[in-house]
Amino acid sequence: MKKSNSLTVPLRIAVISLVVCGLLFPGVVTGIAQLAMPVQANGSLISFHNTTIGSSLIAQDFNYSGFFQPRNDSASGLDPDITVQNATVQAARIHNVTGIPMAYLEGIIKENTKYTLFFFGSTYVNVLDLNLILAQHFPLIYNRYIV
Amino acid sequence: MITASAAFIIVLELGSVVVGGWFLSSYLLSVYSTRKTRLDRIFGPIERSIYYLGGVNPYEEMGWKAYLRAILALNVVEAAIGFVILLIQGSLPLNPMHAPDMSWSLSLNTALSFSSNTDLQHYNGGTALSYLSQMAVIQFLQFTSAATGLCVAIAIFRGLTGKTKGLGNFYVDYTRTIVRVLVPLSGVAALILIFLGVPQSLSGYSVFKTLELGGSEVVKSGPIASLVSIMQLGTNGGGYFGANAANPLTNPSQITNLFELALMMLIPTSLPFLFGRMLGRMKEGRTLIVASYALYIIDIFIAFIPITQIGEGMEVRFGAASSVFWTVTTTAFTTGSVNASLSAFNPLIILAALFGMIIQATPGGIGVGAMYMLMYIIMTVFIVGLMAGRTPEYLGTKINAGDVKLAIVAFLSHPVIILVPTVITFAIGAQAAVGLGTNSISFTQILYEYTSAAANNGSDFLGSAGNTVYFNVSTGIVMWLGRFIPIAVMLAIAGSMVQRKRYASEALRTDTLTFTAVLVVAIFILAVLTFFPFLAIGPILSYLEGFKNGF
Repeated sequence: MKKSNSLTVPLRIAVISLVVCGLLFPGVVTGIAQLAMPVQANGSLISFHNTTIGSSLIAQDFNYSGFFQPRNDSASGLDPDITVQNATVQAARIHNVTGIPMAYLEGIIKENTKYTLFFFGSTYVNVLDLNLILAQHFPLIYNRYIV
Repeated sequence: MITASAAFIIVLELGSVVVGGWFLSSYLLSVYSTRKTRLDRIFGPIERSIYYLGGVNPYEEMGWKAYLRAILALNVVEAAIGFVILLIQGSLPLNPMHAPDMSWSLSLNTALSFSSNTDLQHYNGGTALSYLSQMAVIQFLQFTSAATGLCVAIAIFRGLTGKTKGLGNFYVDYTRTIVRVLVPLSGVAALILIFLGVPQSLSGYSVFKTLELGGSEVVKSGPIASLVSIMQLGTNGGGYFGANAANPLTNPSQITNLFELALMMLIPTSLPFLFGRMLGRMKEGRTLIVASYALYIIDIFIAFIPITQIGEGMEVRFGAASSVFWTVTTTAFTTGSVNASLSAFNPLIILAALFGMIIQATPGGIGVGAMYMLMYIIMTVFIVGLMAGRTPEYLGTKINAGDVKLAIVAFLSHPVIILVPTVITFAIGAQAAVGLGTNSISFTQILYEYTSAAANNGSDFLGSAGNTVYFNVSTGIVMWLGRFIPIAVMLAIAGSMVQRKRYASEALRTDTLTFTAVLVVAIFILAVLTFFPFLAIGPILSYLEGFKNGF
């Protein structure tokens, strides 16, 4: 029986693997993704007044104390969410700075609350979601702070 | 403390994976037998062209030595290709962010790491790698190392079932693994991940002005989903970014979190069933699956003893419970991807993580987990045989002194390659270079580094801080020894058993729950007691000193 040549076979199989697994596979997946799911494939970007202002998946900095602010100690450093408890504490500050009624702030927190285990677990909110709502509904307060 | 809702999710996850693994094992049986299937019409031509281009004679049957030689030759060449690409990535195409060349020691570490299914990362992928390296080094080696692991399990299963002349043909097994198992499953998984929000693009990082005036942010998009799918499915664990599966771009929600966990658990869970099917005796497979899941569940219970609350180092969208669950699972299946910073956790959770990497069969990494479980079975059969005064037998073949000696070499190589470099590190003071002292916390971090390297896990405390020549080279050597010594030894055992005579009656039944219970206790005693003194001055001491976290 003819034996596989032990010197050239590993080299040739390695190069074939490189092409199939390292180039074709990610290339084809990218092609399908860009055609079929361009929004997700490009990082779930979101717009405000027709301008892209970032990704809903990634925390962005907010300095003005009238905005909800993300946490900066998390594992990835990009955590876009804060706990409801944290949001509620921040709501008091935002109320003091902007005069937006506490009931309204608590209302939008409640409407945007998500659960870590679907219907159970701890509760959290997306910081950018809340700030977009504020910027949209209170242009007189926020317009000079936003793009 | 485990809440009812967390327990419910964990039970649901484990249950789905076991059912999925059972179905997958039936498919795997057709992949690794010569039986004709309807899928041959699709996959057959692809495989034949690979054999043709590769110069492979698919009808050649290999003994254990030829099988092992082929594994080593292919893995050396593949690691060498990865090494060279990293070394010169700065002047290669697909580098829109201008990642510079990697240093020789970091290239070496990375190539040895990904080719050994470890995926220890002493770099931050978001800045240190070009798109080409993410694909043609990282994803490439994640596929090939996963395929190698699966082939090893299949060859050993063939040896123990004794229905073939040799152990098969490595190049055929490898090709069929890539073409029929890993590429289709990863492809589907990648598309699901993209649907759920994981990016997949090749057009460079985008910079945006953010909502607040004067702010900006970089969205580091890239070929992420295709990498994450094989990184989990192949129990690799090396992430696209330094923060790994904590980064929202690789793991955007709890749904992706549970899906990625299921991916890493799927193939290791299906292999005990496949073993049962290949033998034609499902109950022998049951011994493997029950023993490995019993150890895994013990691990989960240990990790849930302390109360963990969401805090520094954890991601809000996952919550505390699934961060702990992930950490146990990623070490129990020796994957090594993380969805929270290890430094966030109580020492008892770190202890549970170490258990998984010490035992390596809870159920362990792709292919090798089942291999380690068979190693433990051989040792347990021998011990029980001694106690009962009978000749040890497994699956109707006699286990001779040579087999047991070899199994012990495989078993003891693990503590040797962990504990010796840990001790050397402190003896020469190398821990100081990465900012560590000599207290229990520092000791745990170094012990964890070498345990993770030897177990081909890849999670670690050091991260890019470990990018020193000493740690790059020492962990690189440990990763390859930890990978290929046990593989060589277990292939040798399988090779010597394949043609051995089978007897109808068995002295000691290994398909009973009694034997499974003895096996679990034996594994616990063998593995954990070997490491006990080291665990005692590491995480156990930290726990007794009252540290809640703060590694």
